[in-house]
Amino acid sequence: MFLSPEVYKKFEDIVGEENICGDLAIMPSYHSGQIGAVVLPKDTEQVQAIVKLCNRLNIQFTVMSTGFIRAAMPQGCIYLDMRRMNKIIEINEKDMYAVVEPYVTSAELQAELMKRGLNCSIKGSGAQCTAIIRGHGHMDLSTGGDDRNQLGMEWVTPAGDVLKLGALGSTHEWFCGDGPGPSLRGVISGRGSGDALAEGGVITKAAMKLYHWPGPAAFELEGQSPNYNLKEIPPNFMVRYYSFPSVPQMYEAELKIGESEIMFALMGFNVAMLSANISPNMEMELEVIEKLNKEVQGPGFYVIVAANSPEEFEYDQKVLDKIISDTGGKSLAMVEDPKVGALVLIHGVRISVSIRETFRLRPVGGKAYGFQIMGQRDVNIKWIDEAANRKKELIKKGLGADDGGVYFGWSVENSHLGKTEIFFDPSPHPESLDAIIDWQQTTARKALEDHLNPPTHLPLSVVGPEVSNYHIWSKKLDEAFNPNGTTVVLPSLMG
Amino acid sequence: MSIKDYRGDVEKCCRCSCCKFIPLQKVKGSKYSYACPSIAKYNFNAYSGGGRLLSMYSMLKGEMDYSEKLKEITYNCNMCGACGVSCNYAMDMQVNEPISEFRVESVKDGQTHPALEKVIEGLRKTNSMVPVKGKRGDWAAGLNLKNAAQEQVDVLFHVGCKTSFDPKMHKLAQATAKILQKAGVNFGIAGDVEVCCGGRAYQMGYEEDARSQAKKNMALIKKAGVKTVVTGCADGYQAFKVLYDKFGVKGDLEVLHISEYIDMLMKEGKLKLTQKVNMTVTYHDPCNLGRKGESYKHWKGVRKPGNRFMFDPPKDYRRGEHGVYQPPRDVLASIPGLTLSEMTRIKEYAWCCGSGGGVSESNPEFAMWTGKERIEEALSTGAEAIVTTCPWCEKNFKEAIMASGSKLKVYDIVELVEKAI
Ligand SMILES: Cc1cc2nc3c(=O)[nH]c(=O)nc-3n(C[C@H](O)[C@H](O)[C@H](O)COP(=O)(O)OP(=O)(O)OC[C@H]3O[C@@H](n4cnc5c(N)ncnc54)[C@H](O)[C@@H]3O)c2cc1C
Repeated sequence: MFLSPEVYKKFEDIVGEENICGDLAIMPSYHSGQIGAVVLPKDTEQVQAIVKLCNRLNIQFTVMSTGFIRAAMPQGCIYLDMRRMNKIIEINEKDMYAVVEPYVTSAELQAELMKRGLNCSIKGSGAQCTAIIRGHGHMDLSTGGDDRNQLGMEWVTPAGDVLKLGALGSTHEWFCGDGPGPSLRGVISGRGSGDALAEGGVITKAAMKLYHWPGPAAFELEGQSPNYNLKEIPPNFMVRYYSFPSVPQMYEAELKIGESEIMFALMGFNVAMLSANISPNMEMELEVIEKLNKEVQGPGFYVIVAANSPEEFEYDQKVLDKIISDTGGKSLAMVEDPKVGALVLIHGVRISVSIRETFRLRPVGGKAYGFQIMGQRDVNIKWIDEAANRKKELIKKGLGADDGGVYFGWSVENSHLGKTEIFFDPSPHPESLDAIIDWQQTTARKALEDHLNPPTHLPLSVVGPEVSNYHIWSKKLDEAFNPNGTTVVLPSLMG
Repeated sequence: MSIKDYRGDVEKCCRCSCCKFIPLQKVKGSKYSYACPSIAKYNFNAYSGGGRLLSMYSMLKGEMDYSEKLKEITYNCNMCGACGVSCNYAMDMQVNEPISEFRVESVKDGQTHPALEKVIEGLRKTNSMVPVKGKRGDWAAGLNLKNAAQEQVDVLFHVGCKTSFDPKMHKLAQATAKILQKAGVNFGIAGDVEVCCGGRAYQMGYEEDARSQAKKNMALIKKAGVKTVVTGCADGYQAFKVLYDKFGVKGDLEVLHISEYIDMLMKEGKLKLTQKVNMTVTYHDPCNLGRKGESYKHWKGVRKPGNRFMFDPPKDYRRGEHGVYQPPRDVLASIPGLTLSEMTRIKEYAWCCGSGGGVSESNPEFAMWTGKERIEEALSTGAEAIVTTCPWCEKNFKEAIMASGSKLKVYDIVELVEKAI
């Protein structure tokens, strides 16, 4: 035990005996054996009391919602596991927001919303993750992404103050993240590109923005796991995968689709990720990758048309056909099969098999290596080919695993914004890991030199001077919000 | 086997948390979205399927050893298998097997639970998992049933410890006998020489005892010359069908649960349900009939070269897809006047009744808590009764209902079929 019995008792007094544990036996299931104690607060008052106590005793703390992110922790820190804060507090259909606690998952929230003809943005990490943290996902084209979807928020600062942000700061309403009332959205969620919550502290409640859902109140599925599927695709829905001769042509199609506002979802899965979504096991996944690679002409994306009426559906289809023919797109025959299309639909809307895309074929115990850029779509699309070619070269030399997919990315907010990402797994070659880290660093430096986006994987001191001395401002923000340095900010894969 | 053999599986856990929830496609809202009773009750990650794998991984790496806390976590698991189903919706790896093996290894290493030790001592002495009151075959008094050990029969009805020795459960065996008689089945029972199937002993981690029970049962079956065993208990079904196959002693024995058998008899026209049973019920899938009841898959091969977790020949994972789900539902649907109203968590992602994994003996409060959760879910369907196909579920539900003051009734499927014939 890293905490003295007296200190442990002080935390125990806040959450109760059953909701604190400092035993080493539970630590491997968190991130490290270094944790002083895991605590399970039940409400904002308890969170605040824990944070204040940490400040008083000069103990570092950090927080997890569902805990997908792994990281080493400072010795003896307090880990707030938000499991007991799992309530959907309000679904406001009129103002289209839902107020949730941190352990509400996207799957739970979305299921409640679909019953009401509503939907929310879900991060690509999967619907099993918390609904409240910012991020990006498959429906970003129509739902937007990042901190755009965080509205009013209740935040326990690293120093232990409870701040009500956005509209909540001056009213009892949650409808806006930027006021009337203090907006710290950029500071809390938007700072840096590598951190979920740049300023640390604990979000105890947040309102998430909601969107219209033209589909059924629930997907009626048949079959048993892992072979759930729809009997048929709902009326006015259509799913296709289009591949293109080149990245610029794919981008042109994305842009036109975005500008025409006809599309519910557009996700730039490579064939490997598409295959993961439609294959119930690894063997089939590899077979499908091989088949698809023969059929595609280059990079591509899947789309989900979700219209409100037959007339709208017809219009959307016509516009889509025209765009695809103008940009040289080719539809994958396999996805035109309604059974396969239905799989893409249910997984694409409910984000239910992200683990297949990211971990099923990944080497065991493998850390996810890769590189990502988020921002203006035209800018972030520029680096893909070059970085991907360097990846391919390394694969040829046996210095990286061939994941069958090379890169992926997608449009956000009707294609004005977007994200591109490359996963890169080590091969068994002894020099593979070094080669991949070198690839990652080169890619990051190039992104910085070419002014594409402040990249992850480079220290703030290197990135900062290129972006308005951000490192200096960042330090000032730290001093203001985290005066005792008690919050430990875990890295995340978010971009 | 040993947990070392599952190193690749435990290493593969990516901490995604899917094991805590029902398969994401099936999540219907903020209620009834949890799959695992253990993490739902105890909240710390170590109680989840993934948490258990990560603890094993830590032990395999020599970073952690047994401790009192680890033991407490190990035995506070209903071994219901829901975590594995949810994981295997997306991942190709074994989850339930290493968790089971960890128990076996804990027992071998002397890391036992006193309450379970006591149960196993009883088993060794009396061939029963429950305290012996009277004789095993007492329930059959006056029914004039054939003794399979002495007379030639086509089917052996294996009753199981709970039904045999709990007088309140005798009615289940009696109803079964009546149904089989009505259908004209040439069946027999082993009566006083029937022995425990060993399934629950295995769940508790006592593999050697389970193997010993398997041997005794298969010797009895061989001697009787029967080709088909029908069990009235889901645990018994899983033991005969899956465990004995895993142990390599099942041979070509046909194993049927009574709900499957009734369904077959009805479909063959040998049994007709004609009497009205006006009732709205919900059906609880016992873990050992459902997800854990799917056939054992023998596999022999090697891991493919490279760093992917793939095998030659490919492993066909047991994902809970082929459990016994439809036959009990078809039987219920055939009962005139009866309406089935389904719960949110059903079939391969059903919530456990609470009594598995030795929890009802080692931590009755946890068993009760799990049962109460299920009762609440059953009540949410508007049903007046919950129907199950396992006496262990029935017992736990009855206790949970009594403790929560609910008016929900509990039936085994055979009781309703008996009313309908
Ligand atoms: C394989 C993989 C793929 C991913 N893909 C995507 C993707 O496509 N799009 C995307 O946006 N993200 C992605 N991510 C990152 C992802 O967004 C987060 O992992 C996910 O949203 C985390 O949800 P969680 O509930 O597990 O959060 P956790 O892992 O619990 O926390 C994530 C971070 O937020 C902090 N945090 C958690 N809860 C709170 C709280 N209540 N208050 C303050 N801080 C908190 C944590 O300290 C940590 O830094 C991916 C991650 C992985 C591992």
